[in-house]
Amino acid sequence: MRLVALDGLAEKLGFQLGQGVAEARAMCPDVDVLPADRAADRALLEGLADWCSRYTPLVALDGESGLYLDITGCAHLLGGEKSLLDDLLARLFHLGIEARAAISSSAGLSWAVARFGSQSVIAPEEAARVLAPLPMAALRLATDTIETLGRVGLKQVGDIIEAPRAPLARRFGSTLLLRLDQAMGLEDEPLSPRLAVASLSAERRLSEPVQGEDDILGLTQELAARLKPELEKRGEGGRLFELLLFRVDGRVFRITAGTSSPLIEPGRIAGLFRERLQAVHEDLDAGFGFEILRLSVPKSEKYEVMQEDFSGTPDRQRPLAAFADRVMARLGAESLFLPVLSQSHVPERAAVFQPLADVEMLKTVEEAASAVPANLLVASVRPQRLFQSPEPVEAVAEVPEGPPRSFRWRRSLHRIARAEGPERIAAEWWVDGEKAAERDYFRVEDERGRRFWLFREGHYGGPTQPRWFMHGVFA
Amino acid sequence: MAENAVQRETVLSLRETIARIENRRLPGVVKAVKAADPAGFRRKEEGSQTSGRKVLPLGIPELDDILEGGLPLEGMTEIRNSETRDAGAAAGFATALSALCQQARRQTGDVGAPVLWISQSLASTEAGLPYGLGLKAYGLDIRSLILSLPRTVKDALWIAETALSVPVFCAVILEIRGNPASLALSESRRLHVRARAGRIPLLLLRQSGHEEASSAFFRLHIEPAPARERPLPDGSMLCGSIGHPVFHVIAEKSRSPAPVGLFLEWNPHDRRFYPVEPLPAAAAADPEPAHSIARLSASSGRPGGADTLGHLLAFPRAS
Repeated sequence: MRLVALDGLAEKLGFQLGQGVAEARAMCPDVDVLPADRAADRALLEGLADWCSRYTPLVALDGESGLYLDITGCAHLLGGEKSLLDDLLARLFHLGIEARAAISSSAGLSWAVARFGSQSVIAPEEAARVLAPLPMAALRLATDTIETLGRVGLKQVGDIIEAPRAPLARRFGSTLLLRLDQAMGLEDEPLSPRLAVASLSAERRLSEPVQGEDDILGLTQELAARLKPELEKRGEGGRLFELLLFRVDGRVFRITAGTSSPLIEPGRIAGLFRERLQAVHEDLDAGFGFEILRLSVPKSEKYEVMQEDFSGTPDRQRPLAAFADRVMARLGAESLFLPVLSQSHVPERAAVFQPLADVEMLKTVEEAASAVPANLLVASVRPQRLFQSPEPVEAVAEVPEGPPRSFRWRRSLHRIARAEGPERIAAEWWVDGEKAAERDYFRVEDERGRRFWLFREGHYGGPTQPRWFMHGVFA
Repeated sequence: MAENAVQRETVLSLRETIARIENRRLPGVVKAVKAADPAGFRRKEEGSQTSGRKVLPLGIPELDDILEGGLPLEGMTEIRNSETRDAGAAAGFATALSALCQQARRQTGDVGAPVLWISQSLASTEAGLPYGLGLKAYGLDIRSLILSLPRTVKDALWIAETALSVPVFCAVILEIRGNPASLALSESRRLHVRARAGRIPLLLLRQSGHEEASSAFFRLHIEPAPARERPLPDGSMLCGSIGHPVFHVIAEKSRSPAPVGLFLEWNPHDRRFYPVEPLPAAAAADPEPAHSIARLSASSGRPGGADTLGHLLAFPRAS
């Protein structure tokens, strides 16, 4: 058991990372040792990254203990870089988090200064001067490279800034120079933000936090109304909306709502979130209230503006889309299904249900159905209800390959009065494999008039004993 | 005298309210009195009063009598079957009714109004999922069928309510298994009122449930019945074949009950019901027990083997 992280007091007492716990206890008997929980650390860092999206949408994670914020074009919103940094650090301090930060023109330099330096905002031309007195570890190098450099006396970054590059590259590899260039801002370093940036978003900062659901929905509608002109200008409607709720204690809730057709009306957008809030009701703890609400549109599509006419034929598509959106916002994307026919003779593959993702699908079902050959559609006899998985029955047949005389299904005996069949359906070898057994389907009617669809899998006299199954129920 | 008149007026207005709640046409006497209102104004024309309810005539006089003119196009109708293995028949009857609604809509020029089938997942796992090809062969236009499989009864009710507030569906089928406590009288009243307000026929398909008081206009008990044989082109019947489905429809809640019930055949090709005579075999079919073997001790805690109530005396409580 070794120490993996230390707080300020422990550092003062002289503990070191990687030290054994027993040794640490020997140094200071009443030291508090907590087991490391990497998953919790990660969750905290991601929560902080969410929280940091109040400053910029581009937030990237850096290893286990750092965050990169790309504040290009955002700093002026908070009155400049210095005040942004002060605001960030002050808020984190009040959340009980000890953080160090630096703003510079390159990610590498910010990384170095935040960890090893003292300056907070570094102008682009100061890079070399700030970097020079820092230790080699500030360049994000592997430990053995740092040790090798230290052995030849290169202990500070300043030692290699002015040194000839070719011998350095030859001896220590190209990574050293790449890291140096990145820190100096000579080499570009792409950051990969955690989340894609929404094309549009509107935000409302509140001086008095809100808690009530109606307040949240009212503000959402207001934000949606602010998005509307911009969406109209682009000729687009949102297919996915995201509502970010920043709680006063730093927790951020992210609620998304999808739509089945491009959406632009603020009232309906708020209506979607009304259903979503109902669905996530348990998880959404308002606590002391939310201070920032942000509505963004991560996904949008072309929106057809339609003119109302006087013909009197009701427009079905739009209310249907509204209905589908409400249901899916509340009960999840997989709650409405459309029947889809496909070219297969195996009953369970011939007609399946597909989740309704788009109201336009109602039209495409029509086209798909017309693409299926007619002889498949007028299939002779098909039940109105089909069991997801055929249920085994005990059947007794008069002659081996004939229809059953009686069968026992779900513990009750049915005597068969009439039977039609067999209809032989062979398995699809390209799906089921070549060894799959054929099925002989019988439509049977018992003495009370119930009509069932039974099948026998395999043949008598074959390698395995045939089995009987109940596959469907007729009207 | 004056007091008498006031009382009479109160009674009349109460009667009228009750009649309105029950969707019943006012009895002739009451109406005659109302028409000769001393205040001198007439409420509505006689004609509009009688044709207040929109119905879809099913073409069979006996059935239309039971349904007071036809399938209500605004409001709830309950369809019930008593055993899970009869669920196919009840679902088939409901499908036939929604196919008729679709057809009626199409005749008014409204093509493609969707049918919503809400099947609580317990119901659809017990009795099977609706099968697209089978429903298509049955006469339903599945291009405009939307299926929903909510997990709980509460979700199913919510979806139904939401659907009834959207004026796009030509029929909504709500399939529930048994008699859940979350669909009691007040919930059914709520659904019924929604369906009337939304002008959508709601078919409550109660799978293997008991009779229960509800706000539906009518409750029909559906049982399967032996089918006719398939007709041959020369008019004779193909011996031993199974033709179109036949239902035994018993009206359980209706103002003109027919205790014997009707035997109806659904013809998917013509998309209409035909009355049929019950087969002698079906009429004579004795209600034999499902378990043909002699019953041994009923297994406890499992369905199927439970004895009727009242056979055993309860043991005194041990504690």
